Amino acid sequence: MDKIKGMRLLTKTTLLYLLLAVVMFSIGGLISFEQFKKAVSTETDYELIGAFLRTKRAIGNGKLDAIVTSKSLKIDSLSSRVEYDTTKAYTLRDSSIYLKRTQQVETFRKLIGYVSYDEQDYRVEIIDIIFEDADVKSVVSNITIRLFIFLTIGMLLGSVLISKFTFKPFEQILTAIENFQLNSSKPFDTPPTNTKELQQLNRFLERMTTKARMDYVALKEFSENASHEIQTPIAIAKGKLELLSGSEDLNEEQMILILSAQRSLTKLSKLGQALALITKIENHEFNAQKAIDFSDIVENATNNFSELAALKDINLSSQIDEQVSLNIDSTLADILISNLLKNAVQHNIEHGKIEVELNNDQLTVRNTGTPLKQKPEAFFKRFKKSSQTSGTLGLGLAIVKKICELNNLLIQYNYLDDWHTITVKLRNTSN
Amino acid sequence: MKILIVEDEKELQNNIVSYLSTGEFICETASNFNEATDKLYSFEYDVVVLDIMLPDGNGLNILQILKEEAPETGILIISAKNALDDRLKGLDMGADDYLTKPFHLSELNARLKAIYRRRKLQGQTSLQFEEIDIDTNKREVKIGEKLLVLTLKEYELLLFFITNKKRVLTKQAIAEHLWGDHVDYLDSFDFVYQHIKNLRKKIISSGGQNYIHTIYGLGYKFGVNG
Repeated sequence: MDKIKGMRLLTKTTLLYLLLAVVMFSIGGLISFEQFKKAVSTETDYELIGAFLRTKRAIGNGKLDAIVTSKSLKIDSLSSRVEYDTTKAYTLRDSSIYLKRTQQVETFRKLIGYVSYDEQDYRVEIIDIIFEDADVKSVVSNITIRLFIFLTIGMLLGSVLISKFTFKPFEQILTAIENFQLNSSKPFDTPPTNTKELQQLNRFLERMTTKARMDYVALKEFSENASHEIQTPIAIAKGKLELLSGSEDLNEEQMILILSAQRSLTKLSKLGQALALITKIENHEFNAQKAIDFSDIVENATNNFSELAALKDINLSSQIDEQVSLNIDSTLADILISNLLKNAVQHNIEHGKIEVELNNDQLTVRNTGTPLKQKPEAFFKRFKKSSQTSGTLGLGLAIVKKICELNNLLIQYNYLDDWHTITVKLRNTSN
Repeated sequence: MKILIVEDEKELQNNIVSYLSTGEFICETASNFNEATDKLYSFEYDVVVLDIMLPDGNGLNILQILKEEAPETGILIISAKNALDDRLKGLDMGADDYLTKPFHLSELNARLKAIYRRRKLQGQTSLQFEEIDIDTNKREVKIGEKLLVLTLKEYELLLFFITNKKRVLTKQAIAEHLWGDHVDYLDSFDFVYQHIKNLRKKIISSGGQNYIHTIYGLGYKFGVNG
């Protein structure tokens, strides 16, 4: 059976979930970043306003001198009164300052407010360093990546556990389907499960396989019966013709009619038998896979055909190695070699030759003959013949092909320089 | 020679009876399992022709009954199944021969006589026709007192002719008798012709008469007069 190349269902869903997680975490990271930034700047502003209000209170209490000014808190006495909006005693803005210490431009939050005390206006300027975007970004992405790794590990672990427990019946169902054979007498074996979908699947499979097996048996019986039942009426008709041929006053013309009718009946009967055989092979009714002495069978068949070959003035020679064993049903092995030899005799030329060779690797049947009119492979199809007038059925090689397929044997047909060669490889090298 | 034909198909029964009754056979028929067993328990037969696929019971059961109740009776199975295992199963269970439908009546005739010879005429295995004398045990043929040397196929051909004397034998029936299923092409009729030509020549050169008459277009007939 071909190896199935595909991703496991669970691997696929896990990967898709992880891909989805990447997208979701990216969006989540962005949202976190915005939220974080907003929270930080709100907090900074709150601090600045608090500091300003404390300063304002201190100035209002006349304790201006007690306030320690620094780089971040400057208080300037204004020489003239300024008009400022009393409802909004301060303004907040971002400003960039070049810091010598870090040699970088840093972003600060600056609060500028005005305070009046004792007819004197003061300008209060408070700055506070704020969290930079880059810092926020690195914090947020750090958290996000860690969470993502954590989730990935969790999901992989989860998928292993799921495949071990939840998916186990599913795998068993798959194995059971793969091993299911129409011609087996055992009912389809479904593993027990408490998963609803799998129970549904089980129920469906049980129903379907039972029906398929029943249909198969019915069809098999029908086609076998049909090909057998057809033989009895043929036997009757042939018998009547034989009785007729025994009657006294027949003229030549009538006798020829009888003969050709008999010939057609024989052909019809053989056709039924051949089709029944193909059906049997296709239905895998020949499953006896035990090693047989193929040399013996080939030897016997060659002897059987030597007389027919001799009568047709065909030289049949063989080179058969002893004790070549093959795993095949012995009836089929006999049909295989007999059909090849029959074919080689039938399609030979006058004073022709047939060479049979069997060794441990292959069986070769070669015969002289007229050039092919069709592609060699065509002869393995049913009812393909080199000419329509020949008395053959055109099923011999189709049966050979079916037997080879059933037993995993490779068969080849070559034509070269008036020689037709059919080779059956006995050892399957691909396995 | 008394035979019972167990066959559910009336027309096939009729064929066999008409063909065999012109020879030295007394034929009786049974169409089903019960009729067959009734007759087998009541009368004695030399050979039973048995269709193993009967509608009301497996013909193989009749075979079993015959083996127990009348072991000296010869059994010839006729069946539509030609698979090797069916054949072997029948023979294993003690049938003397197995014939696949459709068969030539001449073939059935020859086989029945062969069974009869083997089973009933142990002491007397010679067949005679005019000056031709065949010893089926030794496979020897004599014309008068003179030994006739024949190939295996020629011997089989002569035996087939003598068991079917005065009957028309088609080339097809002869070919199938000699080579079995392997011949289904027209060439084989030339082989039949060759064998017959050789046999005729040998018999005549040994002082015998020509009893093989050609029936143009159809086949051959063995007898004193064509």
